[in-house]
Amino acid sequence: MDERDLVFYGTPIEREEELSSRKKKAVAEASGQLRTLPTWKQEVRDEEGRRRFHGAFTGGYSAGYYNTVGSKEGWAPQTFTSSRKNRAELKQQSILNFLDDDEKADLEGQSLATSTQFDTFGFTASEVARKQADKEPSAIPGPVPDELVLPAAESIGAKLLLKMGWRHGRSIKDSSTDSLYDARREARKAFIAFSSSDDTKSNIDGDANHVNDHSNSLERPVNDDNLSSQYTPLNALQPKQDLHGLGYDPYKHAPEFRGKAGPGFGIGALEEYDIEDEDVYTTAYDFEDTVVQEVEDSSKPITDHKHRLTWKEPGILPGFKVASISDYQVEKFNAPEVPKDFVPRHKFAGPLKVEDKTAVPPPPDVPPPEDSNMKVLIEGVATLVGRCGKLFEDLSREKNQSNPSFGFLMGGNGHEYYERKLWEAQQKYKDQKKLPLPSDGKSSQKTEKMNAENRGKILGERPLERSSSSLVSPDVNLQSNLSDTFMKPLQFSELPEVSKPFKDNSAKQERFQQFLKEKYKGGLRSGESGGASNMSEAVRAQERLDFELAAEALEKANRGQQSNLSAQQSMDFLTSAGMQFTSAGVEQSKDTLDKDFEMKKMYPKREENQWRPSPVLCKRFDLVDPYMGKLPPPPRMRGKIDSLVFKAEFIPVPRIGDKTGQNQNRSSGGLQSSAQGVRDGSADEEEDEVVVDVENVERPVDLYKAIFSDDSDEEAETSKVSKVEDPEKKVEVANATLNRLMAGDFLESLGKELGLEVPPDLPPYSHTNQNPSALEKETTGLNPRDGSSVKMKITEEDRKQGSPPPSEDRMDRRHSKRQRRYDSISDSYSSSSGDDSDRDRYSSKSKGRRKKGSSSRDKKSSSSRKHSRRRHHREDVSREYSSSRSSRRDKDRGESKREKRKRRD
Amino acid sequence: MSASDLPTKEANVLKGHEGAVLAARFNADGNYCLSCGKDRTIRLWNPHRGIHIKTYKSHGREVRDVHVTPDNSKLVSCGGDRQVFYWDVSTGRVIRKFRGHESEVNAVKFNEYASVAVSAGYDQSLRSWDCRSHSTEPIQIIDTFSDSVMSVCLTKTEIIAGSVDGTVRTFDIRVGREISDNLGQPVNCISLSNDGNCILASCLDSTLRLLDRTTGELLQEYKGHTCRSFKMDCCLTNTDAHVTGGSEDGYVYFWDLVDASVVSRFRAHASVVTSVSYHPKDSCMVTASVDGTIRVWKT
Repeated sequence: MDERDLVFYGTPIEREEELSSRKKKAVAEASGQLRTLPTWKQEVRDEEGRRRFHGAFTGGYSAGYYNTVGSKEGWAPQTFTSSRKNRAELKQQSILNFLDDDEKADLEGQSLATSTQFDTFGFTASEVARKQADKEPSAIPGPVPDELVLPAAESIGAKLLLKMGWRHGRSIKDSSTDSLYDARREARKAFIAFSSSDDTKSNIDGDANHVNDHSNSLERPVNDDNLSSQYTPLNALQPKQDLHGLGYDPYKHAPEFRGKAGPGFGIGALEEYDIEDEDVYTTAYDFEDTVVQEVEDSSKPITDHKHRLTWKEPGILPGFKVASISDYQVEKFNAPEVPKDFVPRHKFAGPLKVEDKTAVPPPPDVPPPEDSNMKVLIEGVATLVGRCGKLFEDLSREKNQSNPSFGFLMGGNGHEYYERKLWEAQQKYKDQKKLPLPSDGKSSQKTEKMNAENRGKILGERPLERSSSSLVSPDVNLQSNLSDTFMKPLQFSELPEVSKPFKDNSAKQERFQQFLKEKYKGGLRSGESGGASNMSEAVRAQERLDFELAAEALEKANRGQQSNLSAQQSMDFLTSAGMQFTSAGVEQSKDTLDKDFEMKKMYPKREENQWRPSPVLCKRFDLVDPYMGKLPPPPRMRGKIDSLVFKAEFIPVPRIGDKTGQNQNRSSGGLQSSAQGVRDGSADEEEDEVVVDVENVERPVDLYKAIFSDDSDEEAETSKVSKVEDPEKKVEVANATLNRLMAGDFLESLGKELGLEVPPDLPPYSHTNQNPSALEKETTGLNPRDGSSVKMKITEEDRKQGSPPPSEDRMDRRHSKRQRRYDSISDSYSSSSGDDSDRDRYSSKSKGRRKKGSSSRDKKSSSSRKHSRRRHHREDVSREYSSSRSSRRDKDRGESKREKRKRRD
Repeated sequence: MSASDLPTKEANVLKGHEGAVLAARFNADGNYCLSCGKDRTIRLWNPHRGIHIKTYKSHGREVRDVHVTPDNSKLVSCGGDRQVFYWDVSTGRVIRKFRGHESEVNAVKFNEYASVAVSAGYDQSLRSWDCRSHSTEPIQIIDTFSDSVMSVCLTKTEIIAGSVDGTVRTFDIRVGREISDNLGQPVNCISLSNDGNCILASCLDSTLRLLDRTTGELLQEYKGHTCRSFKMDCCLTNTDAHVTGGSEDGYVYFWDLVDASVVSRFRAHASVVTSVSYHPKDSCMVTASVDGTIRVWKT
């Protein structure tokens, strides 16, 4: 009979060694399997090797301990052996046989934990409860509120405390000292009560206990303090805001998505809202906030009512109590005692000016008599009389009755002038007499009638210019007073004596002095300040401008020695300067006034740039590609220059050119600044010539193709270069070297460092000096006697200050000029890149050193070319270019170009 | 057209959006109107009868702008989910999603032939998308702006866009030139006049500015409303006689085009008026607001 025909019931009894060996084998097998296979591929098999469908309902990944029942050995059936010698004990099976260690520990209470009996505040109980809740899902989702699972039975500590007068929700610490005695008494009482109850029975019924509690608490007086440091379970710090299930982690199996989604992929459904995603519109509603507030208030825990009660106490914040001892005491100061003789009304030191004026109307200001002797006499007498009083006048009148020169006293010739002078003297004397210190007097006088002008003077503002020729109306303020009180804003008193800019013309110099005095010392304008009376209005205005200019220059020279120009030097240019200077003060006021207007004038600003629509876009818009047939922009981006490359060609309209010139100026500031440094009158001129040439040349379209693509062609071909494009290209290349200057410098230094030979005939240059003449200018600029350089500097400064430029169109022209220069530079740069590649090809035959040499040579030639370009005319440039370059390459290019044409045809 | 002909009477209220309505637009013939809003839907309405026709749902975030082709067959929409959606109107399905903007997309428009959609994004770029081919890559990216691009308009040959950097830039495809008009104030919304000669730009200094397109000259400024922090539309009336725009206080303003006087103002909504759209032929206007309603105004 075969084994397979038998049906087995139960576990066959196996022999010990057989069993152990098989077990060993199985274990070895299993471990081997485990070692080789990943967890999810491991299959659980029993001893017979049958597959056990283990853990199918829990996901099937792995179950138990290495897919066993919970121990490494697995669950082996126990053997029962009993013999006569050693009888098998009858084993009483208990639940402990079937429990794990930790379960046993739990069951037997062997784990170290506060027993519920001593769990005064329910920490352990709540902990246990939480664990319980975690283990078995309850009907209420989320962690079970601790309040719900607080132990029903009081611990011993709580019982004790309760008997001592403590109640739930209060702090144990008894803080108020006056209740100390009460507390002790209560404690004693409680102790007795506790011991008695302990005697009766150890297992107290909960109800009885509670009753006891109640009675105790009822006994207690309710005069308790309001300390309430409740045990409050830690609430969830992160409130749940999403709609996921509890504990659900959407990224659990895809942690790589936990971060933000990459740009350009839209937004995933799981992406969190940023701050910027917040609803901006909700701020429009004001009432929402208040509603929320109310809800929050009502949802506050009921325990708050204790606070609420305390709120009624005035001046105490909720949760705070009044300190019994306060360190802080309000220092009190008595109000200052008012002197008995104090009159709460201001008394002025002297009679008010107004009264003065009304009392003595000032005599009209009259011109002094022609006779200077007479004038001096009159003034002298007036001063004397003003100081000594009317008595002196009478005296002198009597004395000099017969003297005709004193006729003014009797109402004769010059009487009016005398009157006026006398009045002035009187006023002056009165002022001095009023207050002992003249300066004080002035200030008080000023404060009495502070007006805009006075304020301005105090603040050091310069008075506005009045039309010079207009006579000043006789004001109540005296000229002498005014001129004294005006601030001297600058140290112009120590005006260097050397600075006499108009010393060739003494009359003019005098007028200038007068002008200076008025400008800086202030005071009313004298009638003749505007210049000689015989001058025409225009000449006068011109002179005035000159004066302003000179004064400005003087001021500058005086103020800062940083500009090492002496005042004398700065004066020199004035004679030739036809520029307009306006006084700073006037301009500033205009500034503030017209700011709005300026804004309007400034905006909208229009700029134009080249923009290249993609061919597909043109197709979709059903338009002809404006750049069709032209090469796409070179793949290597060159920043701003890139957009300028084709400018000169594609925007031939002069109006546009000008404007783009301006704006690109602005945009390519970096390049510009280096160029600006070199700019100077003569250089401009030359640039102008060159640039204009560039502009006028018609550029054949194929040029670019020729430039960009010739390097792919053969070298050996020989042909002639077409004359049309040649000079133009030359200029470009010459310009390109400008661009390469920086790189050249670097290369040079590098070459030196590496010990390579640098051509000795390299002309010295720097970024700032482009031509020798400019260099000369620069050096002579330091020479204090050089006029023209000073002029240049001043104009520069002027421009920086933002005062109106010499002439609008000139500036404009310069801008556009510069712009065009850049166009051509960038153009030639692209063309020269072709050259470079050419050269590279040649030089690649010889390595290393040779290459370095070539680069420095290239730089040398470029710089020389550049200099020549500046110095000579365009023809020279082209000539030099052709001589410096190997004609072979040009031929190459021409040839390749022709080839291109052929191919296209 | 006199001031009395302005649409100041409420003809219909279109309710259905939950939350703010960010844009409301008439279609080409003015028979229908499209709206989109913070509830991530686009809704199609018949504003004259006050009927809600269809809802288009697919956007993951708020929808900021929507535009419909002249033949009413396709929609294009964009919004906070950084994508431009290309919809089929009748089926309500998304034909294509154009991804590429690195940030929220503020505005989108079809060109005349509905072959290209141009979108303007917070990522300081304009992107043009091909609706003819199956490519979902942008045809061209224009990133000369230096701040968020708020609004875009297309003509037959040009792309015009206004940006927070204060510029209104016109990209002329025919000439290959970019004209940038700097207004000095953040530009919120731009709108073309019906004759195509002027641009109306809504700036964040509570001013609408009318620019001459050929010269870049500032023709007129319209003030009185409040526009300081929200993207709010403005437009010209169908006759180009008046300028209209919303205000943050819920008012709608009408200015005379020439003398910039406020011809009419009335409270249209309870909250910020986000969008105004004028009927292409009749004196009719729809306004949308943060209060969740779209209102139709007629004379």
